[in-house]
Amino acid sequence: MSDATGKDFVAVVASDQRKAPVRVAFVTRRTSAQVKSQDEEVIQAFPEVLFRAAIAVQLLAIVLVLISLFFNAPLEGLADPSHTPNPAKAPWYFLGLQELLHYFPPVVAGVLVPTLVVLALIVIPYFNINVEAEGLFLKDRKRRLQIFWVSSGVLCLFLLLFDVIVALVPTVMTVALMAVAAYTPANTSSNFRRSLAGKPLSFWVMSWFLFELVVLTAVGTFFRGPGWSWVLPWRS
Amino acid sequence: MRLPDSIEKLRQRLFGDTVRTFAWTSLLLLILLAVAPAKHYFADWRVYQRGYQQLISKRSDAVTLRRHFEPGIQQIWLPEIGVVDRCTTCHTGLKEASLADVSKQPYRHHPDMPHKAEEFGCTVCHRGQGAATSVEDAHRATDAWDEPLLPAKYLESSCGQCHQQDLKGTPQLNLGRKMLTQYGCIHCHTVKRPDGTVVAATDDPPSLEHIADKTSREWIYAWLKDPQAYSTTATMPNFKLKDEDARDISAFLMASSTPGPDAGSKVVPAVLEQAKKLKGDATLQTKAASLYGQSFCASCHAVQNAAGNLVGGDIGPELTKVGSKVKPEWLQAWVRNPHQYDPGTAMPRYRFTEQEVGLLTGFLMNKADADLLANVHLDAATPEQIEHGKRLVSDSGCAACHEVNGVKRPENFAPELTKVGSKPVAQLAFAPGVKHTLYDYLDAKIKQPHAFGAGLKMPQYTFTATQVDALVNALLSHNERALAMPAAKTVPALPESHYEAAGSAGKLIRDLNCFSCHMINGRGGEMAPELTSEGSSVQRDWLAQFLRNPNTLRPALIRRMPKFNLTDAEINTLTDYIMTVYQSPKVDRDSMPLTGYPAGQVELGKQLYYSKYGCQGCHIIDTKQDKGYVGPSLTHVGSRLTAAWVYNWMKDPQALRAGTQEPKRDMSDDDARALTAYLMSLKGHDAMEAKK
Amino acid sequence: MSVRVSKYFDALTETRAWRSVFRGGSGSSTLHRSMAIQQNIFLHLLSTKVRKRMISLNTTWYLGTLTLGTFGILVITGILLMLYYHPSAPQAYADTKDLQFVVSSGQFLRNLHRWSAHAMVFLVFAHMFRVFYRGAYRAPREFNWVIGVVLLLLTLLLSYTGYLLPWDQLAYWAITVGSNIASAVPVVGDRVRFLMLGGHFVNANALLRFYVLHCMVLPIAALFFVAIHFWRIRKDGGLYAHQKDAASVSNCDSGRPQL
Repeated sequence: MSDATGKDFVAVVASDQRKAPVRVAFVTRRTSAQVKSQDEEVIQAFPEVLFRAAIAVQLLAIVLVLISLFFNAPLEGLADPSHTPNPAKAPWYFLGLQELLHYFPPVVAGVLVPTLVVLALIVIPYFNINVEAEGLFLKDRKRRLQIFWVSSGVLCLFLLLFDVIVALVPTVMTVALMAVAAYTPANTSSNFRRSLAGKPLSFWVMSWFLFELVVLTAVGTFFRGPGWSWVLPWRS
Repeated sequence: MRLPDSIEKLRQRLFGDTVRTFAWTSLLLLILLAVAPAKHYFADWRVYQRGYQQLISKRSDAVTLRRHFEPGIQQIWLPEIGVVDRCTTCHTGLKEASLADVSKQPYRHHPDMPHKAEEFGCTVCHRGQGAATSVEDAHRATDAWDEPLLPAKYLESSCGQCHQQDLKGTPQLNLGRKMLTQYGCIHCHTVKRPDGTVVAATDDPPSLEHIADKTSREWIYAWLKDPQAYSTTATMPNFKLKDEDARDISAFLMASSTPGPDAGSKVVPAVLEQAKKLKGDATLQTKAASLYGQSFCASCHAVQNAAGNLVGGDIGPELTKVGSKVKPEWLQAWVRNPHQYDPGTAMPRYRFTEQEVGLLTGFLMNKADADLLANVHLDAATPEQIEHGKRLVSDSGCAACHEVNGVKRPENFAPELTKVGSKPVAQLAFAPGVKHTLYDYLDAKIKQPHAFGAGLKMPQYTFTATQVDALVNALLSHNERALAMPAAKTVPALPESHYEAAGSAGKLIRDLNCFSCHMINGRGGEMAPELTSEGSSVQRDWLAQFLRNPNTLRPALIRRMPKFNLTDAEINTLTDYIMTVYQSPKVDRDSMPLTGYPAGQVELGKQLYYSKYGCQGCHIIDTKQDKGYVGPSLTHVGSRLTAAWVYNWMKDPQALRAGTQEPKRDMSDDDARALTAYLMSLKGHDAMEAKK
Repeated sequence: MSVRVSKYFDALTETRAWRSVFRGGSGSSTLHRSMAIQQNIFLHLLSTKVRKRMISLNTTWYLGTLTLGTFGILVITGILLMLYYHPSAPQAYADTKDLQFVVSSGQFLRNLHRWSAHAMVFLVFAHMFRVFYRGAYRAPREFNWVIGVVLLLLTLLLSYTGYLLPWDQLAYWAITVGSNIASAVPVVGDRVRFLMLGGHFVNANALLRFYVLHCMVLPIAALFFVAIHFWRIRKDGGLYAHQKDAASVSNCDSGRPQL
């Protein structure tokens, strides 16, 4: 909307009054925000959306029923406190944590890490850098680059010190991607690099968490054998 | 690509809007959900039950069989022994004797069994997963079930879960149990029976505390390298020692050996002289050989004959190459009195004269194998070697079996085997190529323990395949189920008897090691007749005569009672003791006279003996005609046994001696009395007179 | 034919009995369709209208819906499984075996429950990352994100408590490993573990506790939070749409309650 009229504000009226109630937006001159008051097409939740949801759920159910018809749920011998299987594994979604337990004392891997993860997840939407939702290195570039290199260096060194190669790999991957983002020239022709450069800090933290989660869980599930030693799943 | 209009129209009609698509996905989901019950309808057990109905419908006794058949899942539920067996769901013909001709499983008729399935279920004996209703789950090992069906050759192990005593029908199990106690297994492995008693070893590995008195370091070396090269029947397993290890162990054993009690003091030079003379003297050799024979050394000791077969008993060690092993000084002292070197030996103390000692020593020293030690050359031992040998002795667990100076008997040297028969497969470390079942593991572990990895201490035994199977049977019987079996269902082992005879007679009995062969009050060997009721059964004069000069009662036997050269006083003491103490409460020795039966009764008895009861089939009275070699000779039974014993024996032999081969004939009192009269008339005076 | 069926259906919806059950009444007008949502205790958690582009698969991958779907499957199969299950050791294991061997379709029920549980954990994670990468956690949806985190934890707990119930070696040792972590909590660790297991190690008490948590406490808590989660979608302005995709600011991100 242009403000060529020279007034303090522009009033906009939605055109289709039968579909949506009249909405008025006030935009003061001092703000630079652009407002597009174009209405989106909406549809009734019933029946279209509900039935689509039902179809999705049914398709999932069909897949699960097929799996259940052909693959039996695992069952082992009667629980026996005197016979510890080797290795004793937690459910798969905790195997990332169990993998960390292999490297760190239980207080760190079993208590501190999950607590921090949960806290971080809760805090993310309230995080102020997040709200800006702009590229991490676009503003205050020099200082942020310093902080980035120092902190990722310390983190990698720490993981190396504890010999946590499994957690180091995703960390290095994340750091590498962040470096690509950081040194992307403003006029790059690559869409991928441009989008990377525009990612905020929260994106990088979450992606790092995702990489770690996937790698640690996969390693714990498939690549760990007796005594938590390395095994290859295809060679049993 | 555009679809043709008609198809596009159809698509519109079927999936045109969300609701229609929803209808289709609902239909698909419902169809898939119906597959699960359909799968159940085609479950293994239903298929087999339909097959059974088809099978019996073609048979002549279809009506009866159909009446017996119960459709649906069947189960035997015995909570007190942990049985939920649904085997009979598919094995429908188990109890149908008329299906004896059906060989197709699962419909086959079960052979006669000593127990009812309703009382014990199926899996107590056969193993497998009783609760399962599919072929795979019921018979084979799965993630959720460790114990597959037992192969037939191990089935006897299941009897051993409840029956701790030997059973007639389980020769393999009995043999396995005997091997367990005889081959030194339980010197290293503790095995407890379900009642908590520990299975005790019956072998007696020699003490090595005075071994330098007995043998040479070279022999020890050769023996350690391969015990079976010295004697094929040696029970000592092969530890597969390296040359230098055998060298160092032999060095340590020689160095740690102390002189035995009275070592040297008993060496009689004249005896050694005579022993030496024997080598070149054929007459002396014949004399010595006949002394060896008369003393019935072969009853206990075996010797390889020219054909390579072992002849003789297995109570004592094989003597084929004994001359290469022992020193003559030690041997002459041993022959004179074995108790001095080894108070626990099974060998009796013969009352040999010094000349006889010399003869036997020389005779045995001649039994040598020059090749045995020909290649053994050992340099003098260094202190490091001795130290290393000591470490090896203690690491290899030698002291678990043998007493060794300076090395303590190790506690729990090897894993306890009380529950080995139910050990989870997940806990076993398999050698490559061994099938992943418990019994295959045990079999391989016994046959080739060294395949399971270097550094394992279990030695190599030389067992035949049958022996290994027997041992696996015995091991499988020691399992959790046996331990959990309620007492009411078990037959405990006979308590071990520590019976000792009292007084001076007791001392004699120990000195002669009567228990090595004879069973008295539950203690002793099974080679010779039990003597618990001997006082009721024999006449005093005969007993005294027999002890003085044991003649044979059973002509078919090679192993006979040796002649101990007892003095009259010793014979009197023993005889008195046996006659007074070893009496049966069932037989009153004096209730019937030894002589004076009317001739008519004797005649009747003779007829009964030869015609009605056909006793000559097993016993000999007329040495020229009778061919019975199974039972003892009855030529002078009238001077041997008491009339009361004979009478009671006729009535019920098993009551007097459990397990005797003599059949119970259910004879009338008159018959028994007539037979007794006849047998008591057989005094055998002529024969005895002639001998004198 | 379909015309005839819908005629009968329409007639049915006009009956008094139908009207007494469904307050919205029948009809295909926008009003009726809105009423179908508004006048239903369950559906009124949802918006009556949805942006058209939100229903395309690409936008959300339907991950939230699918997660709810697995939850539904789990509730149904879970109730059926409860009919055959005693939460006592070692009977629990025998019951699990009997499900496999004698209960009609018992193995299928257990399979479906087990695989759906795994699917749900996976879908919850996937949903979380999808929401994050779409940026749908931003104001005014921050709190719904937090509820989502709570639901993630509840899902993990549901799965974890259910893991013990078959009472096999897998279950026993997985729970033992997990509960040992709890004892690493400083100061109160051992007490937390004792509270969790009803003893010092995993035993019959732990089984009962996990059963109660798995079959009652956690599902009710999950239902409660799922309801809030859905209701907040509506209250926070419907499903999140990217601004740059020509979204109307006033429409989507005002935080203004809609309907």
